[in-house]
Amino acid sequence: MIVGLCLFPFINDSRSMLILYTQIFIFAIFAMSFDILLGYTGIVSFGHCMFFGIGAYSAAVTLNTNENSMGFFLLGILIGAVLAVIVSYIVGMLSLRLQSHFYAMLTLGFAELFHVIAEKWRSLTRGGEGFTFRVPEFLSDRLTFYYVALISLVLIYILLRLFTTSSVGKVLRAISQNEQRVEALGFKVLHYKLISSIVAGVVAAYSGALYVITLRFVDPSVFSIEITLDALLMTMIGGVGTLIGPILGSASVEFFQHYLSQLGKTIPIFERWTLFLGLLYIIVILGFPKGIVGTIKSRTQRKITPKNKDLPM
Amino acid sequence: MNAIINLFVNGLSTGVLIFLLASGLTLIFGLMSVLNFAHGSFFVWGAFVGLWLYDLTNHFFVALIGAVLVGMLIGWLVERILIQPVYGNHIRQLLVTLGGMLVLIECIRIFWGSNPLRANMPDWLEGSFQFGGVILIKYRLFILVVGFLIYLLLWIILKKTTIGIMIRAGVDNREAVQALGINIKTVFSFVFLFGAGMAALGGFLLAPYSGIIFADMGMQYAILAFIVVIIGGLGSIPGAAIASIIVGLAGAFTAFYIPDLSLSINMLLLIFILLLKPTGILGEKGRA
Repeated sequence: MIVGLCLFPFINDSRSMLILYTQIFIFAIFAMSFDILLGYTGIVSFGHCMFFGIGAYSAAVTLNTNENSMGFFLLGILIGAVLAVIVSYIVGMLSLRLQSHFYAMLTLGFAELFHVIAEKWRSLTRGGEGFTFRVPEFLSDRLTFYYVALISLVLIYILLRLFTTSSVGKVLRAISQNEQRVEALGFKVLHYKLISSIVAGVVAAYSGALYVITLRFVDPSVFSIEITLDALLMTMIGGVGTLIGPILGSASVEFFQHYLSQLGKTIPIFERWTLFLGLLYIIVILGFPKGIVGTIKSRTQRKITPKNKDLPM
Repeated sequence: MNAIINLFVNGLSTGVLIFLLASGLTLIFGLMSVLNFAHGSFFVWGAFVGLWLYDLTNHFFVALIGAVLVGMLIGWLVERILIQPVYGNHIRQLLVTLGGMLVLIECIRIFWGSNPLRANMPDWLEGSFQFGGVILIKYRLFILVVGFLIYLLLWIILKKTTIGIMIRAGVDNREAVQALGINIKTVFSFVFLFGAGMAALGGFLLAPYSGIIFADMGMQYAILAFIVVIIGGLGSIPGAAIASIIVGLAGAFTAFYIPDLSLSINMLLLIFILLLKPTGILGEKGRA
């Protein structure tokens, strides 16, 4: 699979496909980070776009106010990561004690605050219009950037895999299954949830930074709830509680949007691709609650494992 | 001093309007604990259908009733198709109604186009009169009256009627109510239908107030309504009313004194109150 993706640019050299694949890799990283929260820890954040946006603005502002070199790009990523750690720590400390749907609404509130800051802090963000900026020479080539995104995806997949199979990851899984019991065993649940949200926040910030590099433009829409919802949809379609799932989900959603908008050029009703996206949401949630990976898994392992536990919450 | 009184009156009427938007959600989310993201699209449908009927018939009350009926119909469909399979599972409710919202909002764009529409108020509600240096806008007074009536209606239904007792009992213990021979599914469907109708009413009354309606306003107002229901305390109608008025007043005063803060004041209120009292102003412990 990875070999195929490495060779892909040589087989099919259309620019739009290259950009589409790059986009898929970036959103796959974002969706994986979301699943660390949703699938592995069992907490629903509605404000995950907050970290995506922090990463996006950190990279964009750093490159815009300094020269467009690789050094400043890396500095931007570093700033984004540090901010993500600070913000996820503060937000987590304030809200992780709350019940799940209060937590969801509170994170939505925090994300909205960032959205407002991005619109109001005009000297830094140029407000609602956003700004374009120059990307480093090295990354301005679409083909190079394709490989940067692909390598990032593979590396982050490996890192997150290590994280989820580590002892911390096992505690997180246990929390998603039965929080009270983990608490009773003497684990500090809040402490583990904080680690989970910090890891998810940093990875999301990185995907945000990559995202603005493909666009070469940033505006407050990176803080909009649609970004969070995309991550939710991708994770749900692919399969909650796996890392492959969000990657497959990201690919499905991006392809779906791409081909529907292509189809829209010939058949007018498909121009309304949001309508079909909504229908897809509904069908997936009602028909395949475990997503692609979960459905395949339960088909193949039906006899071995007891019935999967339903989604958290 | 007059400025303060004016701000107070404006904030109060905005608060009542927010209560109209949130009242349906207090039932659906606050009481039945169904996370319904399609709620915002009920407002939008109420506003668009109402405006369309008003242009067609030129009767304010025909348009009002039409908007409410369409809202109820959509609410009934959403409950039947989307929510019945996922009662009791918040995440799936949220996701499936999100899909419902996308579909419903996109349908608005198909029927009425993507551009915002202007909404005028009927002649007899236009204008204002002065009362001791305070300018009272007729439409805002009208909103105050309607809001008060809705509050009374909800309160009476929930506290004084058999169906209200059934609803409250059904929320606390589904099985026990079922065992008494009451079809709880029908009761819940009714609550949903009623809540959606209220949302459509809120949307319809909001349209002339904001002067302009657009398909995307659903999400924005739905979030506002969610904030109000949570601040007020889940399932509490007086809580939702108090929270609406707090949000309305806070909005009016910050827009005047600290305009930079006005966009984020609702979220700050939500964060502040949840941190102070996680169950909301009048939330009962254990519920939710």
